Amino acid sequence: MESRILQLIAALRASGVRISLAESAEAFSAVDLLGIQDRDQFRLSLRATLIKDVKDIATFEKLFPLFFGSGQPPQMGGNPSDDMTPEEANMLADALSQFGEQLRQRMERLMNGEQLSREELEALGRMVGLNQADNLNYQDWMVERMKRAMAFPQVQKALRELMEQLAQMGMTRERVEQIRQMIQQNMQGMQEQMEQFAGQRIAENLSERPRSENIDSLMNRPFNALSDADKQLMQREVKKLAAALRTRIALRQKRAKTGQMDAKATIRASLKYNGVPMEIRHKNRVHKPKIVVICDVSTSMRFCSELMLTFLYALQGQVRKTHAFAFIDHLESISEDFSGSNADEAIASVLWRMPSGHYNTDLGWALNNFKDDHMETLNTGTTLIVVGDGRNNYNDPRIDIFSLMSRRAARTIWLNPESEFLWNGDSDMHKYKPLCNDVLKVSNLRELANAVDDLMTR
Amino acid sequence: MTTLFDSTSTVKSELSKQKYIASDEIATIVYLSQKLGKPLLAEGPAGVGKTELAKAIAGATGRELIRLQCYEGLDESKALYEWEYSKQLLYTQLLRDKLNDTLGSAGSLAEAADKLAKEEDVFFSQRFLLQRPLLKAILSEKPTVLLIDEIDRADAEFEAFLLEILSDFQVSVPELGTLSAKHKPFVILTSNNTRELSEALKRRCLYLFIDYPNLQEELAVVRLKVPDLNPKLAQQAVEFVQKLRKSDMRKSPSISETLDWANALVALNASNLDKSVLDDTLSVLLKHEADLQKAKRQLNTPPPQQRPKNNNNDDFGRFSGN
Repeated sequence: MESRILQLIAALRASGVRISLAESAEAFSAVDLLGIQDRDQFRLSLRATLIKDVKDIATFEKLFPLFFGSGQPPQMGGNPSDDMTPEEANMLADALSQFGEQLRQRMERLMNGEQLSREELEALGRMVGLNQADNLNYQDWMVERMKRAMAFPQVQKALRELMEQLAQMGMTRERVEQIRQMIQQNMQGMQEQMEQFAGQRIAENLSERPRSENIDSLMNRPFNALSDADKQLMQREVKKLAAALRTRIALRQKRAKTGQMDAKATIRASLKYNGVPMEIRHKNRVHKPKIVVICDVSTSMRFCSELMLTFLYALQGQVRKTHAFAFIDHLESISEDFSGSNADEAIASVLWRMPSGHYNTDLGWALNNFKDDHMETLNTGTTLIVVGDGRNNYNDPRIDIFSLMSRRAARTIWLNPESEFLWNGDSDMHKYKPLCNDVLKVSNLRELANAVDDLMTR
Repeated sequence: MTTLFDSTSTVKSELSKQKYIASDEIATIVYLSQKLGKPLLAEGPAGVGKTELAKAIAGATGRELIRLQCYEGLDESKALYEWEYSKQLLYTQLLRDKLNDTLGSAGSLAEAADKLAKEEDVFFSQRFLLQRPLLKAILSEKPTVLLIDEIDRADAEFEAFLLEILSDFQVSVPELGTLSAKHKPFVILTSNNTRELSEALKRRCLYLFIDYPNLQEELAVVRLKVPDLNPKLAQQAVEFVQKLRKSDMRKSPSISETLDWANALVALNASNLDKSVLDDTLSVLLKHEADLQKAKRQLNTPPPQQRPKNNNNDDFGRFSGN
């Protein structure tokens, strides 16, 4: 039992649920307390101690039955030939004999109403490559392949013909129907067996998978060298990093409050105490910047804009006001998407709304949109951040508008994933750079963290 | 800690005496949390009875409920303790004569300082410590139930500050040292899931997710809390609410709103859920204009006829395709 629980924990971890050592220890004491007789209580005691996030509950509910199955073998329909009269059995044999050898064997296998044996399941699993599968999303697909390996579709078709045949040969309707239902039940049972087997095997593969690689190497890896799996890992890391940064920034903002003494307010407060300055009042110097972000989500930037958006989203609490815009060939306000509580959803909705095309990036036009509709968002308290590679497909860069914007904003920062020696071809970075207070190269997570930290300190 | 509930079924029965209907899930996790001495983190949409659960537990165990409502900017001085500076200062003023007496007899400055040092503790004692909810729960003579409500509203750093209390049930006051709990309070944290809580905090808690109840559960709650509503109407009302939750609303009606609505129906002496009654009372249930309009539109257009379920599974239909 212990090893089974440990396997479950390993599988949960492999599916992306964070479980600490303390929590797994806790799970064991909870199980000690409530016992394992009542399956429901057992499940709940594991769940309450291991799962601390709503979105992980689904993963748990999926994995739990695979490790602690209901233990009941699926119901089989039985063998229709058990209670057949001799002539009916003859009819069946006759009808069967028309099919080819292989198909007939398969049909007979289905008809004898026995469950698949362990060996048969193993063989099927080997055939479809089940041992390499370590993602539960593959379960249905694996079952489908196993069914195909058992020639279910062909057998189904053949069975339909067989039924017609039997009816023609004079078997009563009820009898045919009865046989059909039995076979159907058998197939259903086998399918359930396969599902269980596939699920269990995948879950076991999951629990044996080596722990994922060190996050440190991810921090320094360029954004465009990330696989999809890395990206998921990265998303989580981004959130953690943002949380750390948020705490630091919040602390700084809080300290800023108690920095300088406010003489006027202190004297006013002292009146209450007969002129003795009992309460020292401080100047409220809130350091929260107002931010306007313009983010390039075109094909060339897609790989990093997602992470940048996540990061900005995570920091929202630390800024007074954010106006976020995204552009490819025109500008769209995405602040609305970001008002919800779920970063992933927000980003997905933005990227869905603005599908990437080919060579259609046009920052110049986007800036023009900005000038027309959103210029009022920039004022002396605003920091303007542009996230993009400045590659404009030889369109007009509209330096005039950009200089206007940077003059209006308190500070203009450009985050670019490319380093300076790559700014050639259709890159307009050399033209934009003089108008920015800072151009920061942000091509990996560490640089992004540094850039944001820098942004918040000033 | 004395045992409060000795099995999951007692949790259930005791809570139901407090008019709180606990599902198996809630009962099991409450029991575990009490047995393991771990804080309970209850998460879920607003108005499903998270706070109510804490109240019911306090009621069932006969313990005092100490509540800390979290909000943005909540800090130690509001949550834990604060020195009463003005009172301290007042005391120094009042005791000046007494100080003169004590120190007057001192021969040298060093002697006076020594004498003062002996009395120093007077000013940093619990006498001047203003107890805020957390400290109150820890120092209480009797065991208590501590409810930290809507922890997701507090800042992330406040969470970090809670860690010491949640894992060891002790508080460090720099001037006094560490104060540990006489009785471990039963801690319940609630969160509306508006932001993600830190891993460290979650690790220290048992997790309970309370979702909207299903039809039977909600009906049971309505029957228990609003016994005057006639059963048929209660059934209709709850079915209606459940239907509303399934459609896409800006804010789904919570249990508490269902109860408010049920009370409104009783007050209006309604006997049937007809259009006029709904028009009058729907605003109790839905708090956004857009939602109201939507619900009314739904009411006016009858739902599309459900096609009869296709039950004949011939052709071995379910194996083909998927």
